[in-house]
Amino acid sequence: MKRFLLLVLFLVGLGWALTNYQGLATQGTYNSIILDFREDVGAAQIESQIEAIAQQFQIAPRYNSEFSLEDHIFVVSGDPAFLNKLKHSELRKYTEYIEPNYIYSKYAVPNDPEYGKQWNMRSINVEQAWDETKGKDITVAVIDTGISPVPDLEATKFAAGYDFVNDQSEAKDDNGHGTHVAGTIAQSTNNNFGVAGIAYEATLMPLKVLSADGGGTVADIAEAIRFAADHGADVINMSLGGGGESSLMKEAIAYAHSKNVVVVAAAGNSGRNAAEYPARYPYVIGVSALDASGTKTPYSNFGAGIDISAPGGLINGEDKLGGILQNTVNPQTGESVFEAYQGTSMASPHVAGVAALVKAMGVENPDEVEDVLKQSALAIEDDPLNHYGAGKLNAAEAVKLAGRGKFSFRDFFRWLRDNGYLNPRFWFDGGVIALWPKILMVLGSYLVAWFLKHYFPFAWTWSLSTGLVMGSSGLFFLRGLYLYDAPQWPFRLMGSSIPEMGSVVQANGLLNPFFASVLIPLVLVVLLLGHASWKWFAVGTTIGVAVCLAVSAVNAPGLMWLGEGAIARVFLAANALLCFALVRLVLKPETRTS
Amino acid sequence: MSIQVEGTIERKGFGPGTWALVSTSGDTYELRKAPADLQKEGLKVKVNGEIREDVMTFAMIGPVLEVDRFEIINH
Repeated sequence: MKRFLLLVLFLVGLGWALTNYQGLATQGTYNSIILDFREDVGAAQIESQIEAIAQQFQIAPRYNSEFSLEDHIFVVSGDPAFLNKLKHSELRKYTEYIEPNYIYSKYAVPNDPEYGKQWNMRSINVEQAWDETKGKDITVAVIDTGISPVPDLEATKFAAGYDFVNDQSEAKDDNGHGTHVAGTIAQSTNNNFGVAGIAYEATLMPLKVLSADGGGTVADIAEAIRFAADHGADVINMSLGGGGESSLMKEAIAYAHSKNVVVVAAAGNSGRNAAEYPARYPYVIGVSALDASGTKTPYSNFGAGIDISAPGGLINGEDKLGGILQNTVNPQTGESVFEAYQGTSMASPHVAGVAALVKAMGVENPDEVEDVLKQSALAIEDDPLNHYGAGKLNAAEAVKLAGRGKFSFRDFFRWLRDNGYLNPRFWFDGGVIALWPKILMVLGSYLVAWFLKHYFPFAWTWSLSTGLVMGSSGLFFLRGLYLYDAPQWPFRLMGSSIPEMGSVVQANGLLNPFFASVLIPLVLVVLLLGHASWKWFAVGTTIGVAVCLAVSAVNAPGLMWLGEGAIARVFLAANALLCFALVRLVLKPETRTS
Repeated sequence: MSIQVEGTIERKGFGPGTWALVSTSGDTYELRKAPADLQKEGLKVKVNGEIREDVMTFAMIGPVLEVDRFEIINH
């Protein structure tokens, strides 16, 4: 009896759930209905049916297009009630289907007249993100030269800020930089004026720390960070940098982080290897700058401290189309102008804006926000110098990922593992190493050595093992290491196997045919054959190179001058076989004497 | 840290623009408190000043050199 009751309850529940389930299609809107007549219904019959419903319901059915006649497709205007009537009418017998003619809408393009010049907005897919959120109820602190109330910020909400340069509560901009940065984050959008901003329903908090000449002290900036954290900021943008390490600032950032504030900073514009402070402090998302084509700009810093990349623009002389266009003030006159700027200063607020969108989706923890941004970024596979961090900022994917609501560190680690990332810290960027081929190369070379040992007995020695590693994979994990202010090529060199060394310094992924061949093993064998222990290094290296070349031939045969096709494969495979033959040649007399 | 840098004055296009001193060895310094006489593109100068480790800027083009005095070599 109890079981029967439970079954009834279950069925009732199931029925309720099914009847209340709103299919995806029912969410659409329509004001017309499609009638598709069966193919076997003659033209005369269709005509009479159409006339019948035209009279019955006082409507005028029409062809959808000139092609519709052949397909027997008619469209009539009508609402859901009418659709229901048609479905239960005589017409049903003559049609394949009667269904709503849904109106498909494009993603909302804002009506701001200059929006067409904002390539940067489209390149981060912000239109799709706006379907979900526009950053409502999120406060973004802009630590910069201040923000002036230009016309295209009129509909934007402001929180109370502070001017740390002149010690006053009003933080107006006497330079133009801060207002521009603020515009990227939350320019008034869909207001039929000017340009758009990313999180345009978010609230801006103006904090002035840089004077009119564009500089400011670490003491003021640290105070501004604490002010933001204490006054309800959710995101901090710092399009500034330089100077040395400061405990004061480092602590202020850690404090903001402890209050769940996402801190974003520009990487710097000196084109050097490593981000500036504050981008390089812990808990700060460091941003490098992309041009309109999506490649790193020449001025943008790279390497250690870069977490993600975003549009920063590149201005070519008088042609400013490649810059980032926002409303700001002319520093000389104080008047409102629409100006295109370039710099990692422009890239950082893109990330801050998307961070605000992610926060508005309900992700509160700043580490999780950072993970969402990185995970949703468009990853760049071939990035040996860490120009792009986790990849290119993608607002649509970030908001989608944040909207899943179940985002956790476990998901992040799963993602790291799925993508072959070994270590989640940014300076150890496993993304630059294709991990599985490497492991295959090491294991493969040991297997080959073990196999050879079976036929030609020899002793495992340190020099043999070193040779195997050097020949097959190198200390590949070193390649993902980026140290502040240190050149990266020594790590790439140590992290490369002998076949890969020919292209280490120029940091491209292609193999150099002189290095990726039997040549170096042959030279080593010839030179070291007479030496009792170094000979085994040569043997190990030759086995390692053989396996490395064999794996490369199957996996990714990109060769300088020879391309990536069949020629490269044949070249690599042939050299792998030559290496193997070389080992046999060396080992054969060895077995005879032993 | 007080230093003397010899080089050329350049205008760098970050934000509304920034005055830079590109040294003869190729290093770029961001000039802070550059007097109006120094704000001239292409000017060859010797600048005495201090590297401000405690100053950050939006231009981020290199170390910040706060001008103490300068000497124009040629135009």
